[in-house]
Amino acid sequence: MRAVHKRYLREFWPAMAAYVVLLLGSVWLLRHLESTPLRVLATLVPVIPIVFVLRAMFRVIRDQDELERRIDLESIVAAGAVVGLGFFTYGLLLSANVLPQPRAETVAIWVLPALFFCFGVAKCLVGRYYRGR
Amino acid sequence: MNNRVRELRTERSWSQADLAERLDVSRQTVNAIETGKYDPSLPLAFKVAKLFELTIESIFLPEE
Repeated sequence: MRAVHKRYLREFWPAMAAYVVLLLGSVWLLRHLESTPLRVLATLVPVIPIVFVLRAMFRVIRDQDELERRIDLESIVAAGAVVGLGFFTYGLLLSANVLPQPRAETVAIWVLPALFFCFGVAKCLVGRYYRGR
Repeated sequence: MNNRVRELRTERSWSQADLAERLDVSRQTVNAIETGKYDPSLPLAFKVAKLFELTIESIFLPEE
């Protein structure tokens, strides 16, 4: 594994671990807190490690070699298109009242995980294309 | 674009990993260049040419 990817993992895993710990703490706190400012704080604290995850991703994309960067670029474009189109289609179906109405926060929370998931799948496919032959 | 990277590398008995290390790129990038899946940028092409002590146009050849 190249140094740039080792550094990425060194930055990614602690940030993800912090996210999980803070998320569990946040869920527990929200059951006990009643003050609105404290509830806002408890809710937003888990976002901080996600910022560090994104920072790690930006740094690895910036420091990779040119083909790796191209693979990531093509993958994020594909993921953005799939997720954008998917949520747009879902929104149209919801507005036509042909699907059960979800809670707004449920839809909003799933945008980023859906983007990450699609990015991962797209990266496997794009990477396979460049490895092929 | 066609290229002679694989030929030049094997002449020197280098593995793809050896060449990748010398060029400071991934082995995947070397493989993609050799198989013609990816055309390197001008700076990387210059790096390849310098490493093999040849000109760019003697390594990278336009497709007929």
